[in-house]
Amino acid sequence: MRNEIVLEAPLTINWAINNSCNFACRHCYSRADTQEELPRDVLLACLEKAARAGVFSVNFGGGEPLLHPGLLEIARHAGGLGLRLSMNSNGWLLDRETALALRDAGFTRVGISIDSHIPQVHDQFRGVAGSHGRAVAALRHLAEAGIATSISTVICRINHTAIDDLVAFARQQGAGQLNFHNFKCSGLGLSRRDELDLSPEEWREFYRGALAAREREKGLDISLDDPIIALLGARDAGSLVKGSVCGKLSLNIKANGDITPCGFIPVVIGNIARDDLKQVWRDSPILEKMRNKQPTGKCSGCSKYEDCLGGCSARALALTGDLNSPDPHCWA
Amino acid sequence: MVSPMQTIHRNPSVMWREETDALARVREALERGEEVEETGTSVLFSGGTMLSLNYLGTEIWKLCDGRPLDGIVAELLPRFEVEEGVLREDVQSFLDELAAKGFITYAE
Repeated sequence: MRNEIVLEAPLTINWAINNSCNFACRHCYSRADTQEELPRDVLLACLEKAARAGVFSVNFGGGEPLLHPGLLEIARHAGGLGLRLSMNSNGWLLDRETALALRDAGFTRVGISIDSHIPQVHDQFRGVAGSHGRAVAALRHLAEAGIATSISTVICRINHTAIDDLVAFARQQGAGQLNFHNFKCSGLGLSRRDELDLSPEEWREFYRGALAAREREKGLDISLDDPIIALLGARDAGSLVKGSVCGKLSLNIKANGDITPCGFIPVVIGNIARDDLKQVWRDSPILEKMRNKQPTGKCSGCSKYEDCLGGCSARALALTGDLNSPDPHCWA
Repeated sequence: MVSPMQTIHRNPSVMWREETDALARVREALERGEEVEETGTSVLFSGGTMLSLNYLGTEIWKLCDGRPLDGIVAELLPRFEVEEGVLREDVQSFLDELAAKGFITYAE
């Protein structure tokens, strides 16, 4: 009684309600994004539109969402519409009082960005001295408030060989989930690619280690959101789709309401304030292309293509201008 | 395995929705007497696991509201052309799969 399905709306939306930020991360994908924000009433109406379309959950990002003065009101409104709420934060502004307020506003999970178990390495990467300590404190405040926590770690040159240390650190902090985010070549990540990105062989070694850790570690959910792990015969559990989930299960919305397939693909396919969400989801030529990728280059004839579908479309687009190009991280 | 005495409950943390366009297509196909087993009409999501259910699976899911297995079978039997024993076995097997994944719970 389980079947393949064509979804009529995204299940989840990554929503940057603001693009302002108090950090200066070396890999930031949105530094050059619009600072324009939707007016309060329009944003609330857009959340209603998403809920009516059947969206399950929204994950607030940005920018740093805690810098948005209306975050709690927005969250309460979204929660009242039945949307499941989560957020990604750098943790700097997340004290005990704020954690309790987030809980009361309906947040069920908050992810805190921590890129190294070594404070100095994290602080240098995020561009703010003392940020590691504040992030660790934020995890503690969230846990005490009863909010599920996750640690979001962008894998790049500063941490790719430290899997065991990162896992031990996550356990030490009591995080329920450790998200290893693959490095994207977007925004500053593209201009600093030579400094931060790994070679395909280094990605292979990282994922071998990360998959082994995921298999080994019980009680800690290690998430790997990279379709390229199909090359190692692995998939994220429960995934309904092959390849990237972007444009198949999820969408991204920018602070000004612009809709993009994901946060790392700078192609606007509509605007949540102006357009019908289900219509954009159904009719966008870009989404259609992402859902029906065609193998090119070394993907043609590759036995793994059926499972990985060319890997991350954002990376392919950033470096070649074509979503269908092979993922530059591919080692096959 | 669910027993006759147990009641069946959807896990409230599961997010789910019916896909209205797919549902309309399935209903039209049913009226024409066509097979619809391969078409998903709902999607369920919980704890990182997603399921897509066909029409019968969705109807079973919607009936997991605290009634026992007998109640679900009694509700579905007039709506599907199937022998009671076959339906009971299919429903039981499906419920056990949902329970194993944590999407439903059984209560005494």
